[in-house]
Amino acid sequence: MLHALNPAARAAGLRREQGQADALAMIPYLLRQPADPAADERALKALAHWAERWSPSVSVDPSGDGLEGLFLDVTGAAHLFGGEAALLRQIRDRLAEAGIPARVAMAPTPGAAWALARWGGGDGQAPIAADDTVRDLLAPLPVEALRIQDRTLRQARRFGLKRIGDLYPMPRAGLARRFRKEGGVDLVQRLDQALGHAAEALVPVRPPARYRAWQTWMEPVADLEGVEARLSELVADLAAPLERDGQGARSLTLTGFRSDGGATALSVRMGLPGRDAGIWLRLFREAGLGNLELGFGLDALMLTADVVEPMPARQAALETEAETRQAESLAALLDRLTARLGEDRVLAPEAVDSWIPERAERLRPALGRRVEGDAGGMSRRPILLLEPPEPIKDPLFDLPDGAPVRFIWRRAPRRVTRAEGPERLSPEWWRTAKARTRDYYCLEDADGARYWVFREGLYGRDYTGDPKLVNEERAPSWWMHGVLP
Amino acid sequence: MNPSPILSQDPFPEVAAPLEEACAPSPRDVGAAVLFAVSRRRAGDDRPLLMTAPRALFVEYGRPYGPGLAGLPFILAPVSTLAEALWTMEQGLRSGAVSMGLGAVEGATLAQTRRLDFAAKQGEAVGLILSRGLEGLSAARRRWRISTQPSAVDPEDERAPGPGRLLAELTRGRGERPGAWMLEQDDETHRLRLADRLADLGPPSIAGTGAPSGLAA
Repeated sequence: MLHALNPAARAAGLRREQGQADALAMIPYLLRQPADPAADERALKALAHWAERWSPSVSVDPSGDGLEGLFLDVTGAAHLFGGEAALLRQIRDRLAEAGIPARVAMAPTPGAAWALARWGGGDGQAPIAADDTVRDLLAPLPVEALRIQDRTLRQARRFGLKRIGDLYPMPRAGLARRFRKEGGVDLVQRLDQALGHAAEALVPVRPPARYRAWQTWMEPVADLEGVEARLSELVADLAAPLERDGQGARSLTLTGFRSDGGATALSVRMGLPGRDAGIWLRLFREAGLGNLELGFGLDALMLTADVVEPMPARQAALETEAETRQAESLAALLDRLTARLGEDRVLAPEAVDSWIPERAERLRPALGRRVEGDAGGMSRRPILLLEPPEPIKDPLFDLPDGAPVRFIWRRAPRRVTRAEGPERLSPEWWRTAKARTRDYYCLEDADGARYWVFREGLYGRDYTGDPKLVNEERAPSWWMHGVLP
Repeated sequence: MNPSPILSQDPFPEVAAPLEEACAPSPRDVGAAVLFAVSRRRAGDDRPLLMTAPRALFVEYGRPYGPGLAGLPFILAPVSTLAEALWTMEQGLRSGAVSMGLGAVEGATLAQTRRLDFAAKQGEAVGLILSRGLEGLSAARRRWRISTQPSAVDPEDERAPGPGRLLAELTRGRGERPGAWMLEQDDETHRLRLADRLADLGPPSIAGTGAPSGLAA
C-alpha cells in the first residue's frame, strides 16, 4: 500500500493508500521504498521540538492521513520575528536549509491553516488568513482541504460539492444528515473547525512552559564558549519574570536548536525553588554543557522553567534563621552534586517501616528531600551493609541450628571465636510468599573482625532433611549481610 | 594483628584536625576505619555527613547503614573516578552544609589533599580520607592506621562478641608524638571511648595516667 507520494507520483494520478499492484499497473516503472512509520513519527517529533524556537506550543498533526504536518500556536509571537509574513518566510527558509521542503500557512484555526498550507496560495507567497478573510480564502479550495475521509469526499463529489464555498449556502441540518460521522469527525464539524465555529484542541509535544527565555541569531554558534556566553544572558532573562511573580524554578531545561534541524537539550533540577541566575549558570556548567550536541552549530537557544513553585512558602517550615541558612546551603550542595554526578549518585537513606534490614533503610536520590538518619532499634546492626547479601560457603557447626564455628567467605576461611544470636526476623509474608525466616548472628573471628550473618530457613520446621521430600524443601542457607564495628 | 600493642601514655587527641587520614591496612579493618572516621566529627555538630567513594568500593565493603551508625544523617555519593570523588569531597567540605566529608580518595596528590584541607577549614568541617596504605604524600594533619581488635570479654556472656574495639595508631601528627590508643564503642551511646586498660589487653597500666576519658563520637 502506498504511504506517501512525491509530486511526480501525485501528478501521475496515484493516491495514498492505493494498493501496490494497482499502482504498478498504472506506472510500471514506479520507484518504491519500504515505509517506516515509527521512524517517521520519531523524525516528526524531533522536528516538533526544533520548531519550539517559534512557539512554546507545537503539536504533531493528529489527523488520519499520515504523519507529515506540525501545528504551531504562534498567538502573540509573530511580532517577535518581524511580523506574520516574515515568520512564515523564516520557517520555510530554515526548513529548506535543513533539507525539508515545507508548505506553510497561517490562519485563525488549525483547520484553516491545514487547508491553506496544502491548497492555498499560488503566487509563491505563504497564505495568511485573518479572522475576517478566512471564509473567503477557504471558499475556492477543494473540499478535501477539510481533512475528511475518502468516503465522505466521494459522497460530496457525487452531490456536486467540489469547493468549500459550495458548502456555505447548504442548510447545516441537511449536510449533517447526509454526511454521517466517520472516524469520529464529520464534514460539518470539520467545516466549523476550519471557520472557527467549533473549537479544536491540540496536544503539544510537550506542555508549554510558562516561563521561558530565548535567543536566536543569524550565525550559528558552534563552540561551547559562545553557548556559555549566551546562556549567561538567558538565565538573567528568565530570572527576572520569576522574581516579579514571586516564583522560583525547581527544574530548568536548556534547549539548543541546531541549524541542521535537530534539537539538543540539557536539564538541571533543584531541591528547593530558586531564581539565582549565578547558581543556575553554575548548575548547567556542572551538568556539563559539553553534553550538548552542537553539530554544525546552534542558531537558537531556549531556557525554560519546567517546574515552578512559589518562593516564600517553604521557608515558613523552618524555625530559625540559622536553620534556614543550613537547609539552604545543604539544598544548594545537593543541587550541585546532582547536576554533575546524576540523581542516582547522590543518595540519602530513607527509613521504611519494616524489620527486614535491607528494606528498613533504603537509599534514595537525596535531591529535594530532608537528609535524616534512622537510629533503628536497640539491636546490634552493622556499620556497613552488603547489598545484596553474599553466600557463605562450607559452614561447620557444633549444632545444626546454631551459629557456625568455621566458614568460608570470599574464599578465605574464618574461624569463629565468639557468637551471639539468633535474632529471629520473620518474613514479611504479605510482600513475598516465598520468603523464609532469617536467624541473624553476630560473629567474631580469630582476627578480631566482626560479622553479621544470617541463616535463611529453619532446621526442623522448614527443612526436615527427609530424602523423600528432597524435591519439595530447600536446605537452609547462610549469608553474609554486613560488617559490625 | 599485633597481639600486644604498646599503648601511648599521651592523652588521645580528641579534637580532629581539618584534614585527617584513616588507613585500613586490610579489608577486615574497613568497618573499624569507618567507625573511627565517623567518630572524628566535632561533638555536637549535627550537620549531615557526606561520604564519597568509587561505586565499586561500596559493593566490595558494603555501604554505610544508618541503624548501625546510631541514626547519623548522611549523604552517599558513589562516583566513578578519583577526580569525581575529590570534587565531591571538596564541594561538600567547602559548602558548610556538612559536618564531615569522608572520602576514599586514594591516589590523590599532595596538592589535591591541600585543597581538601583548605576547603575543610573554609566550611568548618572535618575532612577524612579513607585509604588502604600510608605510602603516598598527604596534607592530612594526622595520619592514622586503624586495625580491628578482638573485643573485650563480657563477664556475663563469655561466648558473645563484646562492643567493637579498634587500635588507632597515629603514624604522623603535626607537632605530636606518634602513639597508639585502644578505643572501644560504647554500647549505649555508640561513641568511641578509650578502652579500659585494666581489662584483658595491653600492658599493665601505670598508676596515675588517668582514667579513660569519654571521647566525642
